[in-house]
Amino acid sequence: MLRNVMVGLLAVLLLGAAAVAADEPVTIEFWHAMSSGHQPNLQKLVDDFMVAYPHITVTPVYQGSYSSLQGKINAAVAAGNLPAIAQVYENWITPLESILYPIGPHMAPGEAEDIIDGLVPSNTFNGVLTTVPFNKSIMVLYYNADLIATPPATWAEFYDVAKSLTADLDGDGTIDRYGTALRPAANPEQFLTFLDQAGGSILNADWTEVTINDAPGMAAIQFCGSLIPYTFVTSEYISDHIGKIAMFIDTSAGYPYNLTAANNAGFQLGVAMLPVGPVTQGSMIQGTNLAVFDVPNQTQAQKDAAVLLARFMLRAENTVFWATKSGYQPVTKSAYELQAWKDFVAANPYQQAMSAQMLLGFSQILHPNYGDMRTVLSTKFDEIMRGAVSPLDGLNDMAAEIELLLEE
Amino acid sequence: MLTRSEAGQLARQRAYRVLLYFLMFLGCAIMLLPFFWMLTTSLKTEAQAMRMPPMWIPSKLHWENYILAWNRAPFGRYFFNSFFVSIASTVGEVFTTILAAYAFAKMRFFGKNALFAILLGTMMIPGEMLLIPNYVTLTRLGWLDRYEGLIIPWIVSVFGIFLLRQFFRAIPDELWDAARIDGCRRSRFLWRIVVPLSKPAIFTVGLFKFLGSWNAYQWVLLMTNSEKMRTIPVGLATFSSDIGTAYHLLMAASVMAIVPILVLFFFTQKQFIQGIARTGIK
Repeated sequence: MLRNVMVGLLAVLLLGAAAVAADEPVTIEFWHAMSSGHQPNLQKLVDDFMVAYPHITVTPVYQGSYSSLQGKINAAVAAGNLPAIAQVYENWITPLESILYPIGPHMAPGEAEDIIDGLVPSNTFNGVLTTVPFNKSIMVLYYNADLIATPPATWAEFYDVAKSLTADLDGDGTIDRYGTALRPAANPEQFLTFLDQAGGSILNADWTEVTINDAPGMAAIQFCGSLIPYTFVTSEYISDHIGKIAMFIDTSAGYPYNLTAANNAGFQLGVAMLPVGPVTQGSMIQGTNLAVFDVPNQTQAQKDAAVLLARFMLRAENTVFWATKSGYQPVTKSAYELQAWKDFVAANPYQQAMSAQMLLGFSQILHPNYGDMRTVLSTKFDEIMRGAVSPLDGLNDMAAEIELLLEE
Repeated sequence: MLTRSEAGQLARQRAYRVLLYFLMFLGCAIMLLPFFWMLTTSLKTEAQAMRMPPMWIPSKLHWENYILAWNRAPFGRYFFNSFFVSIASTVGEVFTTILAAYAFAKMRFFGKNALFAILLGTMMIPGEMLLIPNYVTLTRLGWLDRYEGLIIPWIVSVFGIFLLRQFFRAIPDELWDAARIDGCRRSRFLWRIVVPLSKPAIFTVGLFKFLGSWNAYQWVLLMTNSEKMRTIPVGLATFSSDIGTAYHLLMAASVMAIVPILVLFFFTQKQFIQGIARTGIK
């Protein structure tokens, strides 16, 4: 009897100690690359989190542009002073997989399943949801609504509209208005979107073979090649040249800039879903995720706090707040059902296309060499669209260079 | 009374001068155009700032951009840090550079030339390569997010040593011989004779250092995490993202950021130009 009482008391003491430990003050750093326009909204989310979890103090730390943040993370890996949580692109952390603290196993039932399907693969390492999506945007079709009454719904229509609207308006022998525009060097995701729509991919499912130059890849690149005479190719923001472009594929996050540019150019901006390709209407999702680091300089309490923050950001009301303020898209299914989001979409009709497109989105592959592969894609896609190499030769060059990266 | 050939020569000289002034005016205009764009863009709306072709003069001046830009980040603190770090780095570098340059120019010691060659060789290593090793070293020293980390690694400049060494070498050795006869020691000779004679070159080293430190971005971002340690270039970066830039606010903040540099240049332009002319830097 006494023994049972002693065991019971010990259990109560241990539970009590654990409860006290759970509420011990803990401070974590959250490294991000959000510019000053977004920072007040990010701070609001962090403040709300600290109200919900008063024992946790979160310090958001701006680390410059995405490339600066990546550089800082790499330096911090070497120095052993990573933060508890950071905003990351998939290809930054694929080489750092071993020091990621998986968030999925610490989520409540249904939380992981609530993440939009297209975002799950790019956050899943070895079958475990390791990171979670944060600020995500999707490729959509922007068009000059004064010129295009009904946006093209298929590749064939896209080609026809691009061709018919490319024009030398003043008859001086140079094109004044292009049917479309691409940023191949800066945004090879435009090609990856066409590739997905044709049913292709860079690699096969188990990453043992390069499949980019299979039949779907050839169809995608030939379609891009057919657009060359009607495409304005640039490395700058398309919004800088919007006055001479009839329609273009660009990230949803660029909407405010595209709208301002369209207003300046004196036309009405339309937003539509991408034309349907031979196989899908997919669109590449871009943007970063949240990663928690499993490194010696972070205590278990700090890692737990970081996981709580990541989960907090996924709550429907929070991802909706972030989306309505930042221009990114909500990242969970339940968010799209939230009345606040529906009201926002009703008040901002352009969001209908973005929301619908987001639910058809796909993400980049998590191959450790994806960063280098992306460089190959951007270089070769740029050469193709500028006419420096034929589409099929360029595609085969891409495949050969990616093959070398695969063998590394 | 001028002869016909003299009058012709005078006319040619005048035409040459007019052409010369025109070209200089054109050069000035081209150099000033970005500054003019910066200044006018700082007074535009966001839409006007993005207009293509550019709108050179806004219809209405939006002075509130300066307040908006100032409030987007703690620029007061950034200005203080920029001044403190730039001045401390400049003073430190000028001091160490003078000592090292004098040793390499005027003193004899074993392995001097080899050591100097090695020192010059370090200039071949791209700074980006050293970012992470330096970051690791300073982290281990506990200098992350501290002024030491922003200042001490930058108080030695191989380029500065090279520049001053060349200048010091041009100072005749006879001066040292005469000073020694009068009982002058090396340190006195350096600070009382060599340094005053080398003011333009030292000014150039200092000015380049100040400008470099004032504009430093990557290192400051890497070495700091808290707002209280950051400098103006980090503040300017917050106006840009991967999808677009708030040009009107960025330019307003940039105007504020270059004012101290312009003031510094107005007060030191004589020495700056002399330094460039005498040291052959282009």
